Amino acid sequence: MLYFAELFGKRVTSADGNAIGRLTDFAFLATDQPLITKLRVDTRVGHILVPVSSMKSINGVVVLTPGFETSGVAENELSVRIHLLDQQIIDIKGNKVVRVNDVVIQDKPYLVIAGVDVGILGIARWLRLEQWLNRQLARFGTTLRSDFLPWEHIQPLELSRGKVQLKREEKKLTKLAPEDLADHLERLSVKNLTRIIDLLPDEYEAEVVQNMNVTRQRALLRNIKPEHAAAILSHVDPDEAVDILLTLSEHRRGLITPFLKEEAKKRIDYLLSLSSTDIGSLATTDFFAADSEETAGNVRKRLKRDTTLDTPLTYVYVLNRKKELVGVCNLHELLLQNNEVPMYKFMIPNVVAVYLTTPPEIAIKKMVKYKIYALPIINDKREILGVVTIDDLVESMQEKLI
Amino acid sequence: MLALAIIGPGIITAVADNDAAGISTFSVAASTFGYQMFIILLPIMIVLAVTQEIGARIAIVTEEGLGDLIREHYGVRMAILIYLLLFVVNLIVVIMDVAGLKAALSLFHLNTTLFLPAIIAALFLFVVLSNYTIIERFFFVLVAFYITYVASAFLAKPDWVNAVTSLVILRGQVSPHFLYVAIALIGTTVTAWGQFFIHSYVRDKHLTLEHLKYTRLEVYFGAFVTVVLTFFAMVAVAATLYTHNIHVEDAAVAALAIQPFAGQFATLLFGVGLLFAGILGCVIVALSTAYVFSEFFGYSGSLDENFSKSKLFYTTLLVQLGIATGVAMIPQISLFAITLAGNFISGAMLPIIFYFLYKFANNEAIMGTHTNNKFQNWLLVGSAVAIIFASSLGLLGQILGW
Repeated sequence: MLYFAELFGKRVTSADGNAIGRLTDFAFLATDQPLITKLRVDTRVGHILVPVSSMKSINGVVVLTPGFETSGVAENELSVRIHLLDQQIIDIKGNKVVRVNDVVIQDKPYLVIAGVDVGILGIARWLRLEQWLNRQLARFGTTLRSDFLPWEHIQPLELSRGKVQLKREEKKLTKLAPEDLADHLERLSVKNLTRIIDLLPDEYEAEVVQNMNVTRQRALLRNIKPEHAAAILSHVDPDEAVDILLTLSEHRRGLITPFLKEEAKKRIDYLLSLSSTDIGSLATTDFFAADSEETAGNVRKRLKRDTTLDTPLTYVYVLNRKKELVGVCNLHELLLQNNEVPMYKFMIPNVVAVYLTTPPEIAIKKMVKYKIYALPIINDKREILGVVTIDDLVESMQEKLI
Repeated sequence: MLALAIIGPGIITAVADNDAAGISTFSVAASTFGYQMFIILLPIMIVLAVTQEIGARIAIVTEEGLGDLIREHYGVRMAILIYLLLFVVNLIVVIMDVAGLKAALSLFHLNTTLFLPAIIAALFLFVVLSNYTIIERFFFVLVAFYITYVASAFLAKPDWVNAVTSLVILRGQVSPHFLYVAIALIGTTVTAWGQFFIHSYVRDKHLTLEHLKYTRLEVYFGAFVTVVLTFFAMVAVAATLYTHNIHVEDAAVAALAIQPFAGQFATLLFGVGLLFAGILGCVIVALSTAYVFSEFFGYSGSLDENFSKSKLFYTTLLVQLGIATGVAMIPQISLFAITLAGNFISGAMLPIIFYFLYKFANNEAIMGTHTNNKFQNWLLVGSAVAIIFASSLGLLGQILGW
């Protein structure tokens, strides 16, 4: 999760480290899926617009790719600073509600505007007082939470007319907890995806589906026609396809499999037959979870106090208030953070997870693919049931091989 | 009919510049420098007329307040800086107005611990419960009471020739202290809050482009009436106290001190004027802070809305009135020190406001064909430079005791 207030003014360098200028704005598409398309960089002699494809990284310093391109503003692009930031938010009846204090950007898997921050923390962030403020408040046993308005509530069309208008009348804003924002966006995209997925070519469709996390994949396959689901799954990596299929009800699975392409069907059927082993038997309930609001300092303190070297510990799982799994972070990342930073700010919101129905073979393939040493096992409500580590999985495989 | 419909913002804002704090400043200025200080009145009238007209014009064209524009074009950091500055300056003015009200009450031997909080509470309830039209009528009633200063001036039997010619002929030497008081005089008439207030008030009245011509005339007329009233109030003091070498520190003392020279009736008139000036001032200045707050942070803020809808707007109003009443109730406190200082800061802050007026009024993207003409720009820049120069000199003189 990135905040515009924290990105604004960041140094921009070329791939070999030469200073180019400072990041001052983003161009984005005023659609239901507000992709960020260009970066505005103010240089000593003026400003340039750089397409996101020419950006190598945005963490720490913004680094551009060698021989980066520049371009002009396209017709359907708007500016974060002119059209969104600091603007008055009005509801559908024109009542003033609040102003946009900060813009929240999701950077994985691509740069997209997740929503806007309308809370006091959004203002404090511009004054670089966010952490100080929360430290002071912590003395009185309270903290300020960011108040997010998810993009879904905003009418993108009105933006180009200079209005940040909500989709309904708001007496009290329905705001979202920051850690749920990314997840919310994903769920929202399922709705959009089911609508637009017909327009995509099959291979591309499959690629999109593969990049979704499990929950989203499942939601998508539940919502589209069986023959269409089968068409997508035929193009998906068979391991993935099986994992997705196994999360569906047997009835639903039965509806989809007959439509699978012959070649894919063979492999998928084979993999499905493997799924007799219960991954639950390999799992350990020894895992470390943190609240999304908990600070990095506090998590480190708890790690030191509550864990021993016997615990297999590679990741910290982040849960929201409903105890749903909303993010993950590795220990290195946790070490690098300052004490006051809450977990939701640096966690990775796209968690690779498995279900109890997932065959161990597929779990191990996922680990290799994403270079992960342990996978959380989740249920329908996204609660963590346990963790399966690569060691235990390999061990079980070994038994089979011998 | 159209002409009648637009009457309000110009006259009310301008006359409210002569609030209790203003009357105190006039009393100090006139009792210390006599007719010499009159030389500043015509420049004040011109600057007031031109700046208020620019403010009203921007408000009509953009349908936004000055606070809205600053937030949208200069971001949240600038907005907070200006707001804090304005909050402090306005609070000082509100305190002076409530103190003026208190002084006027004691002139009539009324129990201030009882009546002062009661009057302020009644005013607050009135503003919350009434709508725009009724409140505006109430303001007009208050404005009408300023006629008492004209009567006081006549009772003082002044040297009219000297008084009028002093408007154009500078008499005597100009000292740094003269400049200090002159800036305070400008600061109490051409106020920072007045600039914000006319914006917000015009917007709250829903004036549109077809009203522009009449609003301009109304604003000019308001500036004229204001300075005429200032003239009479100062004549009343200059003709009595300055001539007899009596220096007063605030308006209530002035009201008492003119009694031996102009009679008891003059004291009564002066006192009644002070009472209503205090009421008008404390409501309008506190309202201006509330308007700016809701504009900067995007909350609903209108006299036409009820408390629950414009909660933060009315709370800001209540906070200012509450603090001011609290401070004014402290018996030991001497408000003399802050009277001149408060208005001096208010005056010294004007160049900042002029800067924004200049920027917005010359921006074609904002104003279309209604941008400033050369004369208006020249006057804005000229008076900003003059105020910066005079206030630096005046402040230096105040510090070094020239």
